[in-house]
Amino acid sequence: MTAVLVIEDDDRIRLALLLALEDEGYEARGAATAEEGLRTQRRDPADYVLVDLMLPGIDGFEGIRQLRRDDDVPIVVVSARDDTHDIVAALEAGADDYVVKPVAIKELTARLRALRRRGRAVTAPDGPEPVPVLAFGELEVSPEAGEVRRSGEPVAVTRTEFRLLCELAEHAGRVLSRQQLLSRVWGYDSGDERLVDVHVGRLRQKIEADPANPRHLVTLRGLGYKLQR
Amino acid sequence: MRRLGLRARVTAAFAIGALLLSASMALVSYELTRRTLLNERERTVLRAAYYDAAVVRAGLNTENPDVAEALRALDTGTGRRPLVLLDGEWYARSADTGLTTIVPAQLQDLVSAGEPAVQRVRLNDSPVMLVGVPLSESTAFYEIASLRELEQTFQVLALALTAVAIMVAGSGAALGWYATRHGLRPLTAVADAAERIAAGDFTTRLAPDTDPDLNRLSTSFNRMVDELAGRIDRDRRFAADVSHELRSPLQTLAAAASVLSRRRENQDERTATAARLVADEIERFQQLVNDLLDLSRGDQPVHREPVDLPELARQACRDRDLPESMVQLAAGTPPSWRVDRRRVTQVLTNLLDNAERYGAGPIAVRLSHTADTGVIEVDDEGPGVPMEDREVIFDRFVRGRAANYRGGGDGTGLGLALVAQHAAAHGGDASVSDRPEGGARFRVTLPGSVS
Repeated sequence: MTAVLVIEDDDRIRLALLLALEDEGYEARGAATAEEGLRTQRRDPADYVLVDLMLPGIDGFEGIRQLRRDDDVPIVVVSARDDTHDIVAALEAGADDYVVKPVAIKELTARLRALRRRGRAVTAPDGPEPVPVLAFGELEVSPEAGEVRRSGEPVAVTRTEFRLLCELAEHAGRVLSRQQLLSRVWGYDSGDERLVDVHVGRLRQKIEADPANPRHLVTLRGLGYKLQR
Repeated sequence: MRRLGLRARVTAAFAIGALLLSASMALVSYELTRRTLLNERERTVLRAAYYDAAVVRAGLNTENPDVAEALRALDTGTGRRPLVLLDGEWYARSADTGLTTIVPAQLQDLVSAGEPAVQRVRLNDSPVMLVGVPLSESTAFYEIASLRELEQTFQVLALALTAVAIMVAGSGAALGWYATRHGLRPLTAVADAAERIAAGDFTTRLAPDTDPDLNRLSTSFNRMVDELAGRIDRDRRFAADVSHELRSPLQTLAAAASVLSRRRENQDERTATAARLVADEIERFQQLVNDLLDLSRGDQPVHREPVDLPELARQACRDRDLPESMVQLAAGTPPSWRVDRRRVTQVLTNLLDNAERYGAGPIAVRLSHTADTGVIEVDDEGPGVPMEDREVIFDRFVRGRAANYRGGGDGTGLGLALVAQHAAAHGGDASVSDRPEGGARFRVTLPGSVS
């Protein structure tokens, strides 16, 4: 059973979300604070984390950062705040997606399903097929093995970052627009392009020698992004 | 009659004042000059006449006086013409005929009484000075001196003085115009600022004036704008805060409603109906809160980027189970427009929803352009919009009249207000007209979106 951790300080919202998620077939667990959520997740990791931003004690942004430190679990922010500033800050802290309250349960579960679709492909490492490795200079991406290496050293990326990288690697040398990436990686028909921009920024921090002047993951103004040698 | 403006009146007053002043100055100087010149001329003429009279007297003081000879002996040039009245008979030089009648009787009386006299008269339409000098009891010498040159001098002088007076009046008018422009400049600045503010630019302020007389105007104007902007901002923030605060409880309601609708089969009919009503209304409530937040954020700048408009329109149709084929791109209109994707998406969805709700369903989404202005038109086959409603339907919380209206109260009443706001944010506008084949045609212009 897929487990979802809901970190939400409002008791009624938490209870209603837990009820609704259980109805949709998830194993739902709640936490009223970020600290409690971090403890729960360490003890018994859930498959998804939903987190509010306004929390007593450690706030949502810091909570996401600490969760992200040793976990690549998909994190979805569920917040009443929809300022650009908050959205970008939450995504930069490591969130995979951002939805604004009130979100319909159908929409929320659709987002979770999209996150699962883009989860790391779990294939047996000793499978019959040789694992194709896509190389971009010192950067190597193996979609099947779910690995990214830079100069031979493994690079820790989140599932969403990995899916984004794979999407770009599979279309090496070609431009993908933000809308195309939104649809292929996040499953949005139309959505917030900041999602793409922030994830590309995070990815550059990990795979580029000089993230400010990227060599591999380049921006084409007004068009989109391209991964190149 | 339209009342003249302050500026025209001040200018006219300046001009009239300057004209009066310069005209009286001109008149006085003309009179003074004229008198001086005439006096001088009179003295000259008198001196010459006495001299000539002495010559004539000497000529007549002989045994056989010959008046003609005595007159001929005078060296008068063309300027002076002598006459002699001897025993009631006039003598003139042969060249000067017809002069004898011009000497007025009054002057003759004076001279015959033994007094020299001077008088100015007109001779053949030119001014002359007439000098009479008594020679003896029965003889008088007269001399006619032309004043033509002097008259010409006066004419030139008068002309010059008139010209100067007119020029001074003109300068007065120019000075008045300039002074009022200077004086009215702060008012012009206030009017410009007020117009910009009325157009929605609340960052407009008057530059603080260094002139202490005008400083008060600019300070109080700026304070008024600050107050106004603050009040509008507070209103908007209140709407945003309210919507925001409603979001959290709405999340509880949305989640709880989904639990209820999941269990519809286990509910009796009345409970199921009530649960459906709750769920539907929560959805509408959500939409209302989102629309209100969007409206309260309407003054945020547009974020323009290249957007494939036909694709965006087709997507909007797909989302509503409408045929994509209703999207028509006019020949020659490029598909990529520079617009704010979020706002234009909302324009399209709201116009389609509106057509669905009040217009018996949309039948065409037409994309075209004139110059650099992209035009979106959504046509429906409904009853159209009555003339008197065409302005107000873009206001907040105005819905179609009950008669036009199908589908129950599921609108928020904010959809078209948002359409108008998004159009305005792009510098365009939203309007509605009759579709030639019947129904309504909603039209949104987006300037600067097509290159």
